[in-house]
Amino acid sequence: MVPASGVDKVPAPNEDAEDFHLPSGLHFEGPFKILTRLSAILIIGVMAGIFLLLVLESVPVFHKFGFSFITASSWNPVSNKFGALASIVGTLATSFIAVLFGVPLALGSALFLNELCPFKLRSPLSTMIELLAAIPSIIYGMWGLFVMVPIMSHFIQPAMIKHCGHIPYVGGLFQGPPFGIGTLTAGLILSVMILPFIASVSLQAFATVPASLREAAYGTGANVWEVCRTVLIPFTKASLIGAIMLGLGRALGETMAVTFVIGNAHRLSVSLLAPGTTISATLANEFAEAFGDTYISSLLALGLILFLITFVILMITRMLFLYDKRRIPV
Amino acid sequence: MSSIITNPRISVQGLNFFYQDNKVLKNISIDFADKSVTAIIGPSGCGKSTLLRVFNRMYDLYPGLRAEGSVIVDGRNIIDRSVAVSTLRAKIGMVFQSPTPFPLSIYENIAFPIRLYRKLPRSEMDGRVENSLRKAGLWEEVKDKLQRSGLGLSGGQQQRLCIARAIATQPAILLLDEPASALDPISTAQIDILIGELKKDYCVILVTHNLPQAARVSDYTAFLYVGDLIEFGATNQIFTNPGIKQTEDYVTGRMGY
Amino acid sequence: MKPDPSVLLRRRIVNYCMLVLFTLAIFISIGALTAILWKLSFSGLKAFSPDVFLKSTPAPGSSGGLLNAILGSVILIVTAMVAAIPLGVLAGTYLAEYGRTSRLGDVIRFCNDILLSAPSIVIGLFIYGIIVLPSKHFSAWAGAASLCLIAIPVIVRTSEDMLRLVPNSLREAGVALGCPYWKMIVKIGWKSARPGIITGIILALARISGETAPLLFTSLNNQFTTLSMNVPISSLPIVIFQFAMSPYKDWQNLAWAGAFLITITVLGLSIFARQMLSPKRRS
Repeated sequence: MVPASGVDKVPAPNEDAEDFHLPSGLHFEGPFKILTRLSAILIIGVMAGIFLLLVLESVPVFHKFGFSFITASSWNPVSNKFGALASIVGTLATSFIAVLFGVPLALGSALFLNELCPFKLRSPLSTMIELLAAIPSIIYGMWGLFVMVPIMSHFIQPAMIKHCGHIPYVGGLFQGPPFGIGTLTAGLILSVMILPFIASVSLQAFATVPASLREAAYGTGANVWEVCRTVLIPFTKASLIGAIMLGLGRALGETMAVTFVIGNAHRLSVSLLAPGTTISATLANEFAEAFGDTYISSLLALGLILFLITFVILMITRMLFLYDKRRIPV
Repeated sequence: MSSIITNPRISVQGLNFFYQDNKVLKNISIDFADKSVTAIIGPSGCGKSTLLRVFNRMYDLYPGLRAEGSVIVDGRNIIDRSVAVSTLRAKIGMVFQSPTPFPLSIYENIAFPIRLYRKLPRSEMDGRVENSLRKAGLWEEVKDKLQRSGLGLSGGQQQRLCIARAIATQPAILLLDEPASALDPISTAQIDILIGELKKDYCVILVTHNLPQAARVSDYTAFLYVGDLIEFGATNQIFTNPGIKQTEDYVTGRMGY
Repeated sequence: MKPDPSVLLRRRIVNYCMLVLFTLAIFISIGALTAILWKLSFSGLKAFSPDVFLKSTPAPGSSGGLLNAILGSVILIVTAMVAAIPLGVLAGTYLAEYGRTSRLGDVIRFCNDILLSAPSIVIGLFIYGIIVLPSKHFSAWAGAASLCLIAIPVIVRTSEDMLRLVPNSLREAGVALGCPYWKMIVKIGWKSARPGIITGIILALARISGETAPLLFTSLNNQFTTLSMNVPISSLPIVIFQFAMSPYKDWQNLAWAGAFLITITVLGLSIFARQMLSPKRRS
């Protein structure tokens, strides 16, 4: 490279009138900033709007039924008496089952992929898990209806009734005719749905563990489980709990995977094998045909309850992730 | 201290610079001569880059940074808010520590700043791009691939592209912030030769922690330490016969900064 | 220090048990998910025929296709994205360029994170309240609006993240040339973050392609093919829901065909998005 000197076409510096013109587009600086700010404020507007709408619409319902809206389980459009208890309990029960089964499977899978998996399989398997987290929930619902329900009603539920139905205290959970649908089935479908999500978020969390830390742990002679127990899990503790809560949040708000198999009965029953309902299943099934102010307002009140539950869960989740200096994964 | 410079291109008088309530530059007064290279040396964190960034009002971008005093360029105090920053920046080019080519073609990288101010016909723009690249010593290497992305060049080439871009608007002053610190020794040597050429047309201010480089290429040197100007003078004098002990300790490497 | 063999043995047994459990976990996970995809492909392909794309949804008992549903979905998705992309990218730009440390920026980020993971049925309720109730009818506009509100948080988040990755020195280089800040963002910042921003848009697209719940009481359903936005419109997820829950065999078959179609689209988009991020990273 040879620097050229004395190039004759260039006018001497400062003789060009350039430096006294303002660059083009200066005037758009203000409008652009306002434009971006307005778009961003829209987000706050939507959030506030959701709150406002749901609260305003629910006020008449709580006015009419009082606190018994939450404690009553009868839901009768004909007599215009509505109680949310069955929906709320169903939401909590299905989500609980989903987390109960989904979390161990998800964490076990993530730990497998991180520590045990042969290198060649690691990439395809983790890609598979991530892609499976993207599958729309209606697919899970359909699979649940056409595959899980027959399996449940022909094999699993009869076995449960036969073997567990008579155990004192717990037996009540496994009573009733084996329809195949019900709270347990819905919970199991949900667990399959949230497990790839929790697994991939956990895997991302494990990736943040510094290599030096892992190597130091193995270097002391610890075996795989001990490294997981003493280094991996404690280091990513907050993100792992965050991932679980994120999965919980998903399960609570999930509609399509549940609506197909829950049975849609506004009934409280102890048995997991009985049909029930969740807040989102109720909304999905009844909203389009709801008539009358009380009915619609009751449904919107259900929506408010769901939103509040998930809002609290998400706030906690956010704090957990921020503890690890991360943000809620997209 | 700076009375040795007649007709300075930039005259700094009593400059104080604050980061929040922290005074980072303390009462700096220096004159920078035209058509020469002035090196600013000093250990890390002494305010060299901060001082450089005052000249093109780069600190405007960040809240909490504030300057007081005067920096006279062409008879106007550029610290004064009333001075239009954009025209100032057209007169002053800046090259950063790590090469920052835009995600555009090589041609567009050079044309970008020109287009901010002028609408030139294609042929004239071609000429301007070629001149800038020639002055930066890059023309021969890229003349056949002007449409390729600037990101595809090597580190040294990218930095020369940034220099070409900085001189595209024919500025009067060139600010170089440790331009070779991220480059390999061969590219560094090329940059050094380039600086020697550039000083024929521009007032070059070079911030560097590379003392041999400062000694090689600069005409004047200013030694900054923790926000204070310790000494300023002709490079020869600073490096062979510094007036202040602290300067001597630094340039001879006696202090392990 | 001489190791105690009983301690070593206990550790080895515990380790072995845990590893077996982990392996079991991955087997069950991959197994369940493979089972789902297998059933989907099997039943979906079985029911697939050119008619799916050529004929509209039939009455029970007769044959038909999914044309109006596919068309409806495309209309809803495209309308939603046309609004979501500019709003999302601009909002993300605000958060990354002007609102990095401001209180307003923090509040917006919080709201966006909540909306990102909020149940989509609640978004549907919101749109019901502000569009369907005042206009007294369900419509494609309402459906598109609800999909738009689901896509926006995704685009905002990825745009912000990608713009934050652009090094500050690049911004300073642009500004040092005298470029107005907004122009630097548009010509340099957006250009630099473009692969990432596009990936975010594709992810949002994939997410709304499979959404059913918010459409249930916004765009509803429509037996006929229509291009009007003011009336209910058919969509693939809604038709799948209706047909799958019905007792009619040919409706159920069409539901599987539709489910297969949606899954292929969503997975295809997701794979494409991942491809965008990996080789482009090299430059």
